[in-house]
Amino acid sequence: MAIKIALAGNPNCGKTTLFNALTGSNQFVGNWPGVTVEKKEGKLKGHKDVTIMDLPGIYSLSPYTLEEVVARNYLINERPDAILNIVDGTNIERNLYLSTQIMELGIPVIMAVNMMDIVEKNGDKIHIDKLAKKLGCEVVTISALKGTGIKEAADKAVQIAQKKGAAVPVHEFDKDVEAVIRTVESKLGSDIVNEQKRFFAIKLLEKDDKITEQMKSVPDVSAEIKQLEDKFDDDTESIITNERYVYISSIIGDCVTKNKKNAMTTSDKIDRIVTNRWLALPIFAVVMWVVYYVSVTTVGTFVTDWTNDVLFGEIIPPAIENLLNAIHCADWLQGLILDGIVAGVGAVLGFVPQMLVLFLFLAFLESCGYMARVAFIMDRIFRKFGLSGKSFIPMLIGSGCGVPGIMASRTIENDRDRKMTIMTTTFVPCGAKLPIIALIAGALFNGASWVAPSAYFVGIAAIICSGIILKKTKLFAGDPAPFVMELPAYHWPTVSNVLRSMWERGWSFIKKAGTIILMSTIVLWFLMNFGWVDGSFGMLEAEQLNDSILASIGSVIAPLFAPLGWGDWKMAVAAVSGLIAKENVVGTFGILFGFGEVAEDGAEIWGQLAGSLSTVAAYSFLVFNLLCAPCFAAMGAIKREMNNTKWFFTAIGYQTLLAYVVSLCIYQIGNLFIGGGFGIGTVVAVLLIIGFVYLLVRPYKESATLSVSTNKMFSK
Amino acid sequence: MGTFITLVVVVGLVGLAVRSMIKDKKSGKGSCGGNCGQCKGHCD
Repeated sequence: MAIKIALAGNPNCGKTTLFNALTGSNQFVGNWPGVTVEKKEGKLKGHKDVTIMDLPGIYSLSPYTLEEVVARNYLINERPDAILNIVDGTNIERNLYLSTQIMELGIPVIMAVNMMDIVEKNGDKIHIDKLAKKLGCEVVTISALKGTGIKEAADKAVQIAQKKGAAVPVHEFDKDVEAVIRTVESKLGSDIVNEQKRFFAIKLLEKDDKITEQMKSVPDVSAEIKQLEDKFDDDTESIITNERYVYISSIIGDCVTKNKKNAMTTSDKIDRIVTNRWLALPIFAVVMWVVYYVSVTTVGTFVTDWTNDVLFGEIIPPAIENLLNAIHCADWLQGLILDGIVAGVGAVLGFVPQMLVLFLFLAFLESCGYMARVAFIMDRIFRKFGLSGKSFIPMLIGSGCGVPGIMASRTIENDRDRKMTIMTTTFVPCGAKLPIIALIAGALFNGASWVAPSAYFVGIAAIICSGIILKKTKLFAGDPAPFVMELPAYHWPTVSNVLRSMWERGWSFIKKAGTIILMSTIVLWFLMNFGWVDGSFGMLEAEQLNDSILASIGSVIAPLFAPLGWGDWKMAVAAVSGLIAKENVVGTFGILFGFGEVAEDGAEIWGQLAGSLSTVAAYSFLVFNLLCAPCFAAMGAIKREMNNTKWFFTAIGYQTLLAYVVSLCIYQIGNLFIGGGFGIGTVVAVLLIIGFVYLLVRPYKESATLSVSTNKMFSK
Repeated sequence: MGTFITLVVVVGLVGLAVRSMIKDKKSGKGSCGGNCGQCKGHCD
């Protein structure tokens, strides 16, 4: 007779290792219908009639994540014949929370305590017999990695599954809570099997709205909820959670003997400081300041200056020019190569040293485990502004490249939060924007140390402000989902891993320079060197730049950016060229401001650029490029993830509008402070700031009954 | 002749760039240049 056994347990408890050991190659891997959660099932080795279902790793049977909903729907609807609950022996207290919920499902359970070898190595002891008695189920010990105890666990699971009995949980909560649970159980209809009534009753008391989808008739339990909340002065979900942990504590006290010497690990000690309520944010700010300061201003600048001044100044351009002259290459082609390709690509490659230093730092921070803490730290702040730490993870990924950052928003189940994360992920500067930051900081702010870190924090501020503003709109209002994540232990990353990560990202940057940037510079060179003079179309002289096709296109769009302080057609063209790839902004500057020629003359690199912009206008230009619509690749990712044309344009429009408004305010108010005078632009800026502040502080009361259908509003 | 050779080289470089971009797209490499299988960003 066919038997189904479900494997359930926390993430990283060894479930999949056990599943692989139990099923070997007899596996089928797919997706649960309608969701992106992986579904794995297989046949138990030696038992063709026994199907093992590897459920997603979950911390509880609450309705907060897709994995949890998928797992519990399977357990309720499919009712496997037995559950093999894998518990991480090194973290038994946390793992038992799920176990208490699984045991309420009425399905026979066998618990397998995994990683016993590490438990013994730590000097701890788990008294299995006592644990089995306390839990009211069979408990076995296994080491999934070493393969010990697996066969015994599987055989016992098959035995209890074949008995086809119903399990009765032995744990009991406070007598008042139990009385209320019994009352709710008596109200449940016959559509709920007896052995599951306790589970459903508890879920109803916890105000779990998703559980009602599994019920034909939903009784009114508001009186029972009020009774409990008045009695315990807390919400029912917290009451039940507390009761579970009281029960778990009693088990741990009797069944687990901890080695006192291991009370606090090194990671715990570091986390006491790094994730401290008051110190966490300042530490994070200091860390990112150091990262950007060292990358852009000190070490990075030293090497980049050599790359720009010597390699792409005194070595490569003269060498190529000599070679081209020697083979009598035509002047126009020499111009394309030197003033187009070398100038444009060279300008971008000049920033490779800074990129490598930045990537080295980021790789170290990721590998050592600190970045995981940052998501946890940011959750506390993000939650106040309508997002959760889960939204910060795509932004962390986006600091390398916006495309995987946007894609990572798929892990956010809440549709509103996911859309908001997609819209704001690219505010964090990606690797491609670093050359723009480095260029502005170096050429226009004389290497001031605050410019580069400020670019990062402007992005964070834009995310937070966007969260506040958007959460007060009907489209995005609502509480963020709870955020649970496992913090890996700190460890020294290996040199090879860090260098490999640095090189992988650095190489992709260099490769992009040799592909997209190369082709963009060729197109830009043609547009810059051809145009109409005295009615005839042809190649232009250097001083006829303003008659070029590029100048004509740029002159049309340039007035749009005049209020931002950079209404020159060259700046406008550079900003627009950033849509192809953000590095293109620097490449375009390299061509437009005669990078190659300046290098030959020995004049200061980027001196011409510095002379064409005030510092306030330069910072306005920097902020605009940081916040505006991302490159085409990232826009494609946004379109795919939004899966709706109107939402795509809403996202792009919002980003560009925010960038425009912020840049305008920076220039107009900044100009006022440096003696630029008071004008209509200043008035507009002040009004925009007032409006922005109003959007931030305005009260918003979420309606209890209003339901906004975005499908109707943004139909395809 | 020198112009022709140089032009061929430039066209060749552009061709290689286009070929590289198409090849990366087909082999599933993300725009970041990394290997999607190792990435936690789940581009696929």
